[in-house]
Amino acid sequence: MEKNEKKGREHPLSIVINDAVKIFTDLGFEVATGPELEDIWHNFDALNIPKDHPARDMQDTFYIKGEKDKVLRTHTSNVQIRYMENLIKSGGKPPFAIIAPGKCFRNEATDATHEMQFYQIEGLMIGENINMSHLKGILSHFYKKMLGEDIDLRFRPSFFPFTEPSIEFDLKFNGKWLEMGGAGMVHPNVLKNCGIDPEKYQGFAFGPGLERLMVIKYGMPDIRPAYQGDLRFNQF
Amino acid sequence: MKISYNWLQNYFEEKLPEPEKVAEEIIFHSFEVESLDKLGTGGKIDWIFDIKVLPDRAHDCLSHFGIAKEISAIFNLKVLPSPKSGGGQDLGQGLSFSLREKARPCPKEETSLQIEIQSDKCLRYIGRIVRNIKIGKSPDWLKEKLETIGQRSINNIVDAANFVMFDLGQPIHCFDLDKLESPKIIIRNAKEGEKIITLDKKEVNLDESILLIADEKNPLVIAGIKGGIKAEVDENTKNIIIEVANFDAVSTRKTARKIGILTDAVKRYENEISPELCEQAMNEITEIIFNLAGGDVEKIVDVYPKKPEQKNVFVSVNYINKRLGTFFSKEEIENVFERLNFEYEEENGEFKILIPLSRIDITGPHDIVEDVIKILGYERIKGELPEIDWKPKTNENYLKMFFARNKLLNDGYSEVMTYSFRDKGEVEVLASASDKKFLRTNLSDGLKESLKLNQLNAPLLGINEVKIFEIGTVFKKSGEEIHIAFNNKKEIKEMNLDEFMKSADSFLNGLAGVGDPENRGPEKKIMPMKFKMWSAFPFIFRDIAVWMPEGEDPKELKKILIENGTELLIKEPYIFDSFTKEGKTSYAFRLVFQSYERTLKNEEIDEIITKISHKIKENSSWQIR
Repeated sequence: MEKNEKKGREHPLSIVINDAVKIFTDLGFEVATGPELEDIWHNFDALNIPKDHPARDMQDTFYIKGEKDKVLRTHTSNVQIRYMENLIKSGGKPPFAIIAPGKCFRNEATDATHEMQFYQIEGLMIGENINMSHLKGILSHFYKKMLGEDIDLRFRPSFFPFTEPSIEFDLKFNGKWLEMGGAGMVHPNVLKNCGIDPEKYQGFAFGPGLERLMVIKYGMPDIRPAYQGDLRFNQF
Repeated sequence: MKISYNWLQNYFEEKLPEPEKVAEEIIFHSFEVESLDKLGTGGKIDWIFDIKVLPDRAHDCLSHFGIAKEISAIFNLKVLPSPKSGGGQDLGQGLSFSLREKARPCPKEETSLQIEIQSDKCLRYIGRIVRNIKIGKSPDWLKEKLETIGQRSINNIVDAANFVMFDLGQPIHCFDLDKLESPKIIIRNAKEGEKIITLDKKEVNLDESILLIADEKNPLVIAGIKGGIKAEVDENTKNIIIEVANFDAVSTRKTARKIGILTDAVKRYENEISPELCEQAMNEITEIIFNLAGGDVEKIVDVYPKKPEQKNVFVSVNYINKRLGTFFSKEEIENVFERLNFEYEEENGEFKILIPLSRIDITGPHDIVEDVIKILGYERIKGELPEIDWKPKTNENYLKMFFARNKLLNDGYSEVMTYSFRDKGEVEVLASASDKKFLRTNLSDGLKESLKLNQLNAPLLGINEVKIFEIGTVFKKSGEEIHIAFNNKKEIKEMNLDEFMKSADSFLNGLAGVGDPENRGPEKKIMPMKFKMWSAFPFIFRDIAVWMPEGEDPKELKKILIENGTELLIKEPYIFDSFTKEGKTSYAFRLVFQSYERTLKNEEIDEIITKISHKIKENSSWQIR
C-alpha cells in the first residue's frame, strides 16, 4: 500500500477530550469519573435541584422503567457530588480541583446541534479563596489552548440550582460570539450536602459540552455523524 | 415570555432607550432575549421581546411589571410607583395607564361575599363582588395590548383579567355570581369521584389531592389551573366575583401535570409568586373592570391565613468581593441596593438588607452576590489563574481507557462511537423521543453495524481492511460496565476494560508514558484543520492495474490518473496492490468517484476510464493489465 497508515485514527471527540484533560491536568486538576446511570440524589437532590420544582424541567430527563431512583445522568455534575462525598468520607478536605469528562443524556429530539447523548466536561475547584475571577482565568486559559490565543470570553447571567451566581459563557472565535456552556460559583447548599463547610470554603464549577467545542474547532456542520460509527468522521 | 416595549414604557416617565439597546442590556444583566420583533407600521409601532425568564426569577419576572423592575435597576431609571395615569385620585397602588379612562371606583362598605379556606394549599384568597356590570367588547387599547403579546380578545371582563396577569404576573379568575348556589366561595380538596367540566369543555376526573374553588355544592375551578364551565362569565352575566388568590406552588404543579393542563396561570403559580401581589392585582383589575364595564363595586374579602415575614440577609463588602474576585467599593454596592429598591442599614460592618417579599429567591448572602454582579456587570470580573496547594491523584479508570485506546490505535484500529440506545436490552428508559428505548448491553451490535458501513466505504476510505474499536459503557440488570470491542476480520471481540488490560499487560509493561507523543498535546494541533463533510451520494470505484518496468516510480502514472480523473475523482488515487515479476512491476490503483450534487452514472465513469486508458497507452513501456 502506498499510504501505509499503520496507526488507527482516533475519534475527533476523543481527541478533544484527551486534549482537554491534558490542559486541565497540566493546571493541577485531577481526573474524576462517575456512573452514567445515576441515582436521583447525585443527579438532582444533592445538586440543590428540588423535587417538584420547575428547575427539574430545565433538562429533559431519561427516567428508568421499574427503577424509580435512577436516571441517565443529565450532566456530569453528579461527579462533583461523588468526588466530594468520597473526599470527606476518606478524611480529606479542600483544596482540590477535578475535571470530569463524560457522557450525558437528554431526552430531546435530535438535530444538527443536539443529540440525545453528548459529552460534557465538568470542572470543579474548591478552596478557601477560589473566586469567579479564577473561573474566568481557567476558562480563558482552556479555550486559548484549545482554539488559539485569539479568542475572547464573556459571561452572561444564567441560572443553575447548583451554582450562585450562575453564568453562561460565550466565546469570540473567528469574529463571532458563540454560546459555550454554563458555570458559576458552587452553591453553599451543594457543599453542605457533601459535608463541606460553605462558610470556610468556596469555589467554582463549569460544565460545557464537548461536541460544541469539537464542532467549532474542526468547523463541522453537524454533530450527528459523531455517533454513527462512520470512519469518514475520523479525519484528524 | 412575550414583552411589549410600549407596554414597558408605561412604567417610566423617561423615554426608554432604543429597543435594541434594551434587549442587549437585558441579555447582559438579567435574562436571555431570544428575539426582538418589530410590529405594526406607521404611527403604531411596537417591539416585542421574547424573554427567557430564568427559573429563579420566574416568581417575580413573568410580567411586564417584573421586567420593568429589571430595566429600572439596569438603566437606573425610576419605575413609577403609580404609573402614568394622568390625574384622578389614586386607588392604593393602582397601576393605571394613560390609555385607560380615569374614573375610580368607590367600593361599598359592605358585601355579601363569604370566603372559606379549608386547605392550607390556599395561601391567600381575595374576592370581590361587582354588580350590574356590562359585558361587552374590549376597547381597542386592550385588544391591541393583548394581541401584541399573542393573546386573543374574548370580552372586557376576561380580557381585563388576562391583561392584569401579563401586567403584574398575578393570575385572576372571574365568576358569574348568579351561577353560584350562594355568594359563598369554598376552597377545598376535591372529593374522590368528583368531576369538573373545564372552560374548553373537557371533563376532568378529580381526586382528593386536587384543590378546588367551589360553591356550596359544585366545583367551579381547579385552583390555580383552569376554570370550570359552571360559573363561566358569558354575554348575559350581570354580577361577578373577582378572584385574586395564591396557591401552593408544588401542589399546583403536581396537579397540573397529573391532569395534563398547563396554563399561563400554572406557569406563574408553580414558580411561587408572592401572595403579597394579590392586593396590587385586585386594585388594578377592579379599576379596569370598573372603567370598562361599570358596576357597583363591593369591598374586598381578604383571607390571608399566614402573611409571610420579610427576612433580613446580612452581607459584607468583603464577602461579595471575596466570591467574585473583584474590588467593588462600598458605594458601588450600596448603589446596587438602591437600584434594586432594597431597604438596608449598616450593622457591625455588614449590610443588613430587608429582602422585599417579592424576592423569594434571596435566601442568603450568596444570592446578594449575584444581584450585585448582575447589575455592575460581569465584564468587571477580570480573570486570573488560581494557585492551589494540593496533589492530584491518578484516576485509574480514565488511565486504563487512555492506555487501551492508544494500544488499539497503535495496532492499527480506528476508533468509532455508536449510540448507547438500542431497540432491545435489559435497562429501559420510561419515555424517549426516539424509538430506541433500551440501553445497550454490549458494544458488539453497534460495532457490527459500523463494520458493515465502513466495509462498504472501504474504497472511499482508501483501506483494504477495516479495523475498528469502541470503548464505552454498557448497561445490564446488574449495573453498568466499561467495555471494549474490536473486530478481527468479521468477528467481533468484546470484553470489559479490566479483562482487556490483563490481556494487554505485556504490551503495557514495555510502554511507559504511552500515548503517541506526535498525536498528543493540544498545542500541536491548533488550526487550521477543517473538517470536510462527505457527500450523501453513492461513490463509484474503478481499479486500473499497469505493468511498468521494475524500478520505475509510479508517480508519473498517478499524475496521469489525477489529471484525467476529472473533478469527480473524490480522493487521490491510491495503490492497493503491487507485485514484481520478470523485471516488471504491476501497480494496481484504485480510483474513487463521487459527486456532492448527484448520483453518478456508470457510463460517465466508463468514459473517464477510457480516456485514462488511452493516455496510459501513449507510454509504450507500460501495459494495462
